[in-house]
Amino acid sequence: MSIIQTTDFKETLKFWPRHNEAIYRRLESKHSWIEENPHGDGSPVDPLHNEMVLNIGPQHPATHGVLRCAVQLDGETIQKSVLDIGYLHRGMEKLAESKTYQEFMPYTDRMDYLSPYSNNVAWCLAVEKVAGIEVPERAQWIRMMMSELARISAHLLWMGVGLMDAGAVSVFLWAFQLREDLYAIFDEVAGARLTVSHSRIGGVVTDVDDTGMAMIREFTETFPVAHAGWIKLLNRNRIWIDRNVGIGVMTKEDAISRGMTGPNLRGSGIQHDIRRFEPYLKYDEVDFNIPLREEGDALARYFIRMEEMMESIKIVRQCLDKLQTLKGPIRANDAKHSYPSKDEVYYSMEGLIHDFMYTDTGTCPPKGGASYHAIEAPKGELGFYIESDGTGSPARVKMNTPSFTNLQGLEHLLEGALMGDMVILIGTVDPVLGESDK
Amino acid sequence: MANDSSLSEGFLTTRVDAVVNWARSNSLMPMPMGLSCCAIEMMAFAAPKYDVARFGSEAMRFSPRQADLMIVAGWVSYKMAHTIRRVWDQMADPKWCIAMGACASTGGMHRCYGVVQGVDNFLPVDVYVPGCPPRPEALIHALMDIQEKIRNEYSVGQDGDFGTDHPAIAPVRPKVLSPSGDDVITPGGLYNQ
Amino acid sequence: MATKQPRTLSFHFQPADSAAGDDANPHAKKTTLVDDTVAALKQEFGDDVLEVVQYAGERTVRVTTARIVDICRFLRDNLGFTYLCDLGGGDRFTEDERFEVHYNIVNMDAGKRIRIKVRTEEESPVVPSVTSVFPAADWNEREAWDMFGIRFEGHEDLRRMFMPEDFEYHPLRKEFPLLGIPGSLPLPPQVPTGELTLDPFPRAHGSIPPNSFDEVESEEEN
Repeated sequence: MSIIQTTDFKETLKFWPRHNEAIYRRLESKHSWIEENPHGDGSPVDPLHNEMVLNIGPQHPATHGVLRCAVQLDGETIQKSVLDIGYLHRGMEKLAESKTYQEFMPYTDRMDYLSPYSNNVAWCLAVEKVAGIEVPERAQWIRMMMSELARISAHLLWMGVGLMDAGAVSVFLWAFQLREDLYAIFDEVAGARLTVSHSRIGGVVTDVDDTGMAMIREFTETFPVAHAGWIKLLNRNRIWIDRNVGIGVMTKEDAISRGMTGPNLRGSGIQHDIRRFEPYLKYDEVDFNIPLREEGDALARYFIRMEEMMESIKIVRQCLDKLQTLKGPIRANDAKHSYPSKDEVYYSMEGLIHDFMYTDTGTCPPKGGASYHAIEAPKGELGFYIESDGTGSPARVKMNTPSFTNLQGLEHLLEGALMGDMVILIGTVDPVLGESDK
Repeated sequence: MANDSSLSEGFLTTRVDAVVNWARSNSLMPMPMGLSCCAIEMMAFAAPKYDVARFGSEAMRFSPRQADLMIVAGWVSYKMAHTIRRVWDQMADPKWCIAMGACASTGGMHRCYGVVQGVDNFLPVDVYVPGCPPRPEALIHALMDIQEKIRNEYSVGQDGDFGTDHPAIAPVRPKVLSPSGDDVITPGGLYNQ
Repeated sequence: MATKQPRTLSFHFQPADSAAGDDANPHAKKTTLVDDTVAALKQEFGDDVLEVVQYAGERTVRVTTARIVDICRFLRDNLGFTYLCDLGGGDRFTEDERFEVHYNIVNMDAGKRIRIKVRTEEESPVVPSVTSVFPAADWNEREAWDMFGIRFEGHEDLRRMFMPEDFEYHPLRKEFPLLGIPGSLPLPPQVPTGELTLDPFPRAHGSIPPNSFDEVESEEEN
């Protein structure tokens, strides 16, 4: 007897009866590629040959956020799964329409909250593209350096939480110990640990001073040592490999057709990274590799993310060397498109007026202008499609967030997997629900 | 020793209270309702640098039956609110709630259709932590506030309000003076009916 | 000691004539210069290619709504645009053809990106679904349904994406207020056995949820 036939959702649930009914109805009617047990015809139900519908609700110990999965199980095998997201939906796209471009910056921090600097840079670049603002060189190098540090921070949390969910709790503690070093750097350079908002449209808000540079340089020396230690522990670890090899295999065609992005795409052998596909900031002037694997399983993605961390260190070192010698402004010098410096605001009339006007109205891209700009966030391709109506607030912002597109693939990966692998699968796809639910 | 029944407030019960409250406050088991960015700071608060284990709250229990402190960390959407309330109802008494961050306290920067403007609209919150996200030290301060609150409770003696329904308390509105400054006028509007 | 020189600010205000719309936009990418793709589309579909907009180095091709599936199939099979990057709805808030849907499709091997747009009316907005060509369109189309109310014909599972099914409105339409409609999303009850709270601000109106709740006496005796 199906769960739809035996349950009167309006009676059993006080809240969202139509929503839950829709989910379970979809679960029943879904055509899965897993062979289902043939149903008996009226004979007494044998518990060993029965399917169970399990709801792995929005609140669960796997720390990847509020994701709900309704699964139909045959023993331990997941036959069909339906993912329900939206538990963190805010209506960011609607909020964006009532804020100016600069006012929206703090909202982008809270999207992928593991690497907030990347989101800031993505938004700034998208606005700069639609308004045609040129960013000075020093600002671009600073943004690139901090974005790569944010990438390391996001991958560190992936590693810590993924391994903790799999059972190895110590890795969580080590990862967070290093993340605290990164937070100290962000605190010094940008003023805040997590929600930085350091990028401004047209550049960055403050320059990186010597203390900040010294802290970053020290990090580039201590991090590889710790990283080598984890590699030594995990790369040939029998338990970790057994838990990951062959789990969540995504073939090349599937990855492209389902629109996976980021390390999920590169784990299946597709060489697609926005830093090489559509170079932004100064990525075409630094030397780094893009890790690529062919197998498409969870272990391949693990290797890719670990290697990406070391590639980011490489980029950060090159940025540090460049920033020693490259001096210059850190924000565009156009009062209509970016904030004047604080000196100008305090000591000149025009500066004060420009500051006020910029906060009040802000950048006004040409009416009817619409463009899309993507970056390679740690999770994948993060892009903003902005349509402007000539005023200081956008007419439409569409956020193409990597976690949203990756979660579609997760639904496919779950089918055929064992229950125990579910945590590994969620970890390997690495969703951030704040970003996926906008 | 009191002349009344053994359950009313007396020397023995206050001593027992002190012990029970000491035990409860130093072994709070948080149920981390970690929803978004504040959850990352909550993980940092459990991590080595701002170690919360030294306050006794090392055991983060994800099952509501085993926890007594719920930390709502992150913005609560209307869809998620019912789940949180359900989890809260499953927690056994005595239980406390921390609304961590601006979003859980008042809706924060998210003044829009999807976000509940403050988790106290459906949960009885004990401590609010401001910040977006609050530093782990702020969350430790909130934990210490809860510990202080617990130490002042009547756990055993029945003189407290434990178990009774609280009637709805109307908020105190400031008195509005007339232009001459003499009388108090009753302003109209939604909140003054 | 020399007298202190007055500070001079190096402050030159130059209102820049930004080349926002040109291909010379400072952030324009080579991948979006797809004039050859646009020409191939025009050659294959003729009048169905209604308008081509160039902005910031990008090409946006507006096509007739009825032929979007054929156009996507042509892009995927003949021109190598195999990867659907993004799909989103939009509300133009005009009398005529109010809603639009945009598709952002990428050719990974040749390094190209193109945007296709379709428009549909307000009364019953229907757009053919491209999930048969790009399975990646699945959740994006559900999101467009949820946020705008655009129906996708041929989508096998058109449920709401973010809002619960019980929600009756489409939030991203321009007439939907930012703070929502009171009562459209109920809050949990103030006590476990109570009724759903329809007021979005019960605390401000004086209703404080009690901390401890005494179980309701059951009828049965133990």
